[in-house]
Amino acid sequence: MTELPKTKKLVLYVAGQTPKSLAAIANLQRICDTHLPGEYEIDVVDLRQNPKLAREHGIVAIPTLVRELPVPLRKIIGDLSDDEKVLVSLKVEG
Amino acid sequence: MNISPEAIAELKRRLREAEDTIRAIREGEVDALVVGLEDRAEVFPIGGDVDAFRAFLDAMQPGAAAIDGEGRLLYANAVFAEMMGAPLETLRGRVVASLFDEAAAGVIAEVISGSEGCRSGLPLRLQAGSAPRDVLAAAAPLSLGTTRGVALTLTDLTERLRAEQLERSGRVAAAIIASAAEAVMVCDLAGIVTHANNAARAVFAGAPEGQPLAQIVPLEFVAPDAPCNMAEMLRRAMAGEAVQGLEARAPQGATAVDLLVSAAPLIVGEAEVAGCVVTLVDIGERKALERQQLLLMQELDHRVKNILAVVLSISRRTQRHTDGIEQFMGAFTGRIHALSATHNLLAEKSWAELTVGEILGAELAPFGLEGSGRVVLHDLDRAISPRAAVSLGMLFHELTTNAAKYGALRGDSGVITVSARRVAAPGGLVIVWKEQVSHAVTTPVKQGFGTAVIAQSMQHAPGGGTEVAFETDGLRCTIAVPGEDTL
Repeated sequence: MTELPKTKKLVLYVAGQTPKSLAAIANLQRICDTHLPGEYEIDVVDLRQNPKLAREHGIVAIPTLVRELPVPLRKIIGDLSDDEKVLVSLKVEG
Repeated sequence: MNISPEAIAELKRRLREAEDTIRAIREGEVDALVVGLEDRAEVFPIGGDVDAFRAFLDAMQPGAAAIDGEGRLLYANAVFAEMMGAPLETLRGRVVASLFDEAAAGVIAEVISGSEGCRSGLPLRLQAGSAPRDVLAAAAPLSLGTTRGVALTLTDLTERLRAEQLERSGRVAAAIIASAAEAVMVCDLAGIVTHANNAARAVFAGAPEGQPLAQIVPLEFVAPDAPCNMAEMLRRAMAGEAVQGLEARAPQGATAVDLLVSAAPLIVGEAEVAGCVVTLVDIGERKALERQQLLLMQELDHRVKNILAVVLSISRRTQRHTDGIEQFMGAFTGRIHALSATHNLLAEKSWAELTVGEILGAELAPFGLEGSGRVVLHDLDRAISPRAAVSLGMLFHELTTNAAKYGALRGDSGVITVSARRVAAPGGLVIVWKEQVSHAVTTPVKQGFGTAVIAQSMQHAPGGGTEVAFETDGLRCTIAVPGEDTL
């Protein structure tokens, strides 16, 4: 029996270990663990390693969190320190 | 131009996104931007590259960490991670306070807040890691790109405190050694003296530091099972054996000849022998007292015999000069009382503040010779020290007893002349005891204890001594009292 891929996916774009990138990683981990346990598959993409990927999702400022699934795609820019703002953005379907 | 509702919605979404991006940049919520064309995009940090800061942090000797405004750890160096007892990668993003125990976390919070009184740092004890360690925590404001925070440093003071503690212990040990009345010396494993107190310098007439102890002053151990020499004693001590209280003689020493020697291993750290500690106690006084006590015991034994001889002599003399038992009893009892009074006089006055005449008079009193013309005294009103008084008392006692047994006091016609005169050099007093007897005098073949006491008297100081001559008309004893004993 194989596990089905999650239907909710978050991609966090960071720039190496800048303070905001580290803060965003820690905050996203905390928010998901606290409020959305098991709901999202999370990827962290380091744009310093692969800057070309920034164009694919039109990333300009770092850190940026992209909700790829479910559609529509949504972006949250910043270090994700405002839990409420993050949760509102993630739960908006349309 | 017709624009579909979907296109308008997409444009609105893009507009919101662009506005959101600009707001985030303006409000400092991001710290890097992607700039460039599609195939040449580059990431640029805002406010400078933090890599240089991280490299600097890694090179720092103290434990160091960068903490953001919410108290989260951004970066730390390997020393900091080692102090926390956790891998570096597990520390990033963690709230710093959670890395410490409650007490240390309170100190860290105070340091980070930058309150007055902790500008130069606060000490705290870390329990994490392999062993507790004392550190000094300090913090300074930090600006990394758009992030404001603090740089926290933890300087390990454990070794410094330990060194200070060792230094303090060393000073205490040195003070103890210096204040000891005994001579104390510390040797390294090669037997070279590394420390010595003043008492040790007095024993060896100089500074023994830097010299091989076994060669400074050779010791001769008294007990048959003792080490054969100092080198052997040191070897035993450094092997871990404590050698306690062995009597030894140091005939080449500067001051003390009789010593009580002990040696013990010098243990530093855990059972690590770094040398040995040797103590030398000057027991010269004690040995002198022991010798004097032995002499006094022999003297006591001799005096008991002498006193019996004196009593016998008094009895014989009294018998010759009395008629009847009642007259004998009266005269004899009186003389025995005089003998007892003499003893009391000398004991009560502890031999202090006595003149030569008083000492001699006390010894002659029991013979009842006052007014008989058989004892002639000249210039005996000379005061002498208690030490010399004891010797002179013993000497007069021996001469008197000897005279009663063999000399001028044996018969009825002998005469004793005692005179004293001061001498210029070496500044003492010369007393001459001269007996004149009618019977022939011969030099005794065997030297008894009394003769030995007479011969060895007054030799306790330079210029003192006695000379005995058995002249044909009677014994002559010349007594030289040392200058330092004449008052």
